[in-house]
Amino acid sequence: MTNGKPVSIIMIEDDEGHARLIEKNIRRAGVSNEIIPFTNGTDALNYLFGTDGSGAVSAGRQLLILLDLNLPDMGGVAILEKVKANAHTKRSPVVVLTTTDDSREIQRCYDLGANVYITKPVDYDGFANAIRQLGLFFSVIQVPETP
Amino acid sequence: MPISQAFFQRSNALLLAIGIAVLVIIVATSLWLTTASERYFGEVTAARAVRSATADLLSLVQDAETGQRGYLLTRDESYLAPYSAAASRVPDQRLRLEHAAARLPEVTPILQRVNSELEQKMGELAATVEATRRGDIETALNLVRSGTGKRLMDELRTDLSAILAVSEKELREAIDAQVTASTRLRWTTIIGAILILAMAGAASWTIISYTRELVAARREVETLNVGLEERVRERTDALVKANEEVQRFAYIVTHDLRAPLVNIMGFTSELEAMFKPIEAYVGAGAAATPEQKAAAEEALRVDVAEAIGFIRSSTRKMDGLINAILKISREGRRELRAESVDLTALIETAAAAVHHQASAEEGGGIEIDAQVPRITSDRLSLDQVMGNLLDNAIKYRATARPIRIAVRTRRERRGWVKIEIEDNGRGIAATDHERIFELFRRSGTQNTAGEGIGLAHVRTMVRNLGGDIAVRSELGKGTTFTVTLPPDLTAYRRSAEA
Repeated sequence: MTNGKPVSIIMIEDDEGHARLIEKNIRRAGVSNEIIPFTNGTDALNYLFGTDGSGAVSAGRQLLILLDLNLPDMGGVAILEKVKANAHTKRSPVVVLTTTDDSREIQRCYDLGANVYITKPVDYDGFANAIRQLGLFFSVIQVPETP
Repeated sequence: MPISQAFFQRSNALLLAIGIAVLVIIVATSLWLTTASERYFGEVTAARAVRSATADLLSLVQDAETGQRGYLLTRDESYLAPYSAAASRVPDQRLRLEHAAARLPEVTPILQRVNSELEQKMGELAATVEATRRGDIETALNLVRSGTGKRLMDELRTDLSAILAVSEKELREAIDAQVTASTRLRWTTIIGAILILAMAGAASWTIISYTRELVAARREVETLNVGLEERVRERTDALVKANEEVQRFAYIVTHDLRAPLVNIMGFTSELEAMFKPIEAYVGAGAAATPEQKAAAEEALRVDVAEAIGFIRSSTRKMDGLINAILKISREGRRELRAESVDLTALIETAAAAVHHQASAEEGGGIEIDAQVPRITSDRLSLDQVMGNLLDNAIKYRATARPIRIAVRTRRERRGWVKIEIEDNGRGIAATDHERIFELFRRSGTQNTAGEGIGLAHVRTMVRNLGGDIAVRSELGKGTTFTVTLPPDLTAYRRSAEA
């Protein structure tokens, strides 16, 4: 992720411990991009779409969204839907990283345009390994600039 | 008046019996009156026979006398023909009269007199005719002149008139009796007809009413059947809902308990890794480089503190979750006590508890419109439900306007009670209308403290009371929670157990 503008990783994760562990393991994979954490959906939506909700604030940004589905104030699916429906954010890759392994939920997320769906492993070794591999993945993918 | 089957059968049998009795009476009376009529007709005929026999006898005697007079005047045998004819027929005629008059006892003495007068008269006539035949005119004329014949004739006339009068009287009486009998027959028939019609009417009325009641009863059974199907459907819905809820609950519990567990395991592993620079620094002892020292200090001061902080907060979170689950589980097991609750007073008390918060601003307040005074239910559960919902209304107010809350109670169909709590707060997005009832889930900006337990708890309690809770809300405008409860918890529990 080293093409022109730096890519920002938007991490929407309500559990601060999880957020910290994810950040640590991504860094271990050698990813040094800016990580912007949000612990609830409302703040994340404000950042992505601005206070007017138009999404114009995201114009020209290069974003990669890491999304947890279980948020305290709204469903992560609702955020995914909004991101993929907005002209400014729809091309930003969305990685759903959650504990849910319900097959219907996974289908639904891909239907709505999720790019990657990862179930958080319960044991920490698995978890750390998955995040590190995700970090390696981040380091090679191309992220388009938002229009 | 409802007609029982026994009453219907008894009354119909009674009406039938009365009808048959009336019919028998009519037939018997008709027979009796017809017989009487026949008897009166016979009497009329007999009286007529007496009358005609009397008149004929008189006429015969007069014929005989006329013939005798003619013969006495002319002494011509040919004038004697009427006499001879009459004289020969008189005995027959007399027998006819006797026969006809046999039924009239009052005539008998007169008839005896008539017989002797007739004998004497015919004797006198025969004597004069005999004398004339012998040529002894003088004797014959003397016999006539003596007046015996005339006297006998007069007496005969008087007596026969008396018989005539008696027969006339008999005739009149018989005709009168016959008229009376036929009048009676007519009236008996009319009254009988009316009675039978009345019986038939009464029987028809009973049958029609009974049939109508049967139809009504069948309709009621059909309605009950439909109601039963509806109740089965309701119960099935409730079961499906309860099942889904159990699944959601299990899912949420495992998911939410798992999240802090991942933290604990993660930061424990991290902690292990953090000790590496410290071990290296300690192991190096006096030979430790400044870099090793710095790394060890960094790990000890920052990373270890952070890791322990997260482990501690995660265990605290787990403890909190387990307590919340225990609370809900205990609530589900709590023995409910059904009692008659003054619903209006209960709502007023709950409203009074938060009133100062609601009316802190100008224009704010709680309005109560109660139309259901009482409900038989568990008071503690109702208290908690009302308290939670009112607390929420105040907690999630819209910052831009003073809070207004309206509480309404209404009677629904089948006596169910509907409680509506409407507020003008910040509202709930449509996507979160189901989520808010789930354990540990909240909606909207997290600007107030809370664990996401209140509504899950409220729903568990309402469902335990046999009711349900629903939400109607528009983001930014306000929210209405609708609680529906059965009017009587004991009746609900009975039918749920059945």
